[in-house]
Amino acid sequence: MKILSVISLLVLSASLAHAAPDRVATVKATVNGMVCSFCAQGILAHFKKHPAVSNVHVDLTRKLVLLEERKGKSITDKEINEYIKKSGFEPVKVERVKESFDEAKGG
Amino acid sequence: MHRRRKSDPAWPFGFCDFQKTSQHRLVQSHLFSQLTQTKKLKIISTSILLAASAAAHPVAFEAAYQLMFGTAGDVQNFELYRSYSAQAAWGIHAMRFEGAEDEVFTGLQHNWLLKRWNLPSAQANVYAGLGAGLAGEVGNGSSPAGIGFFRADYETRRVYTAFDAKLVESADVSRGVFSAAVGIAPYKADFDQLNTWLILQVEHVTGMEENLDIVPKVRFFKGPYFLELGSTLRGQPVANFMIHF
Repeated sequence: MKILSVISLLVLSASLAHAAPDRVATVKATVNGMVCSFCAQGILAHFKKHPAVSNVHVDLTRKLVLLEERKGKSITDKEINEYIKKSGFEPVKVERVKESFDEAKGG
Repeated sequence: MHRRRKSDPAWPFGFCDFQKTSQHRLVQSHLFSQLTQTKKLKIISTSILLAASAAAHPVAFEAAYQLMFGTAGDVQNFELYRSYSAQAAWGIHAMRFEGAEDEVFTGLQHNWLLKRWNLPSAQANVYAGLGAGLAGEVGNGSSPAGIGFFRADYETRRVYTAFDAKLVESADVSRGVFSAAVGIAPYKADFDQLNTWLILQVEHVTGMEENLDIVPKVRFFKGPYFLELGSTLRGQPVANFMIHF
């Protein structure tokens, strides 16, 4: 019985570790070259199409693109870098933060 | 200056096409009917052919369409491109040069972003483009023509500079449009705000009666919409509109 419990616990923890996060997550991407909102429209256009992204915010002052992930879904760092390049800019750093999307927007 | 306005197959956005639209019926108000034919033609061509002397965005983001049109001095411009990557776009380009004999160019064009510098607080770009089409004097037929352009710009959130050169060549038409612009933003607008720029542009068009224009203008943009309004020092209106979608 003990062995069965241990195995169940191990299986459960392993499946949780591989599942997409079960909470809404915020991603901060630092981007070079974003000096003009007209030029940065591609950022919005690309990220809005991604099924894991529920919200996008561009902050020209802090040179950030903020993304809110849908509950249980995730966008990879590779996709984020690719979308930024397709929009004509240079990705510098991608971070996953504990702040909510609104808190991250507020600075 | 005498200006002829006849339909020409090389210019798809002229008066004759406009006559067929419902917008034209709206314009035919009582006040409008009081104007002389020359004034009517001037108003129509200025309103419809709002043209840019310098294409601000020859290449946009991947999968974007960019529509640009406007008027600046004696040059009117219409461009519609599809950016199939963040470095290249293709589409149609039409230009009209007003003079004793108006000249038009219409063709297909390919644009390249040759180099972009994405800096932490600035962006600089070098673009070039080549195209082929038809050009000629309005009403006198057209002949095969080529177009080429080069553009370099540098921009921060407060300062803007650009240089643009375009050449159109055919058996009957030989024009060069060269412009240089500097601008400042009175405030740093964020992504969701209305952006305002004060710009001074100097434009030289080869082979025109008045071949040098100084153009103070105001640029606004918000979201995917871009509008420039100004006037040459000779009093000719300058208006440019652009949209990404």
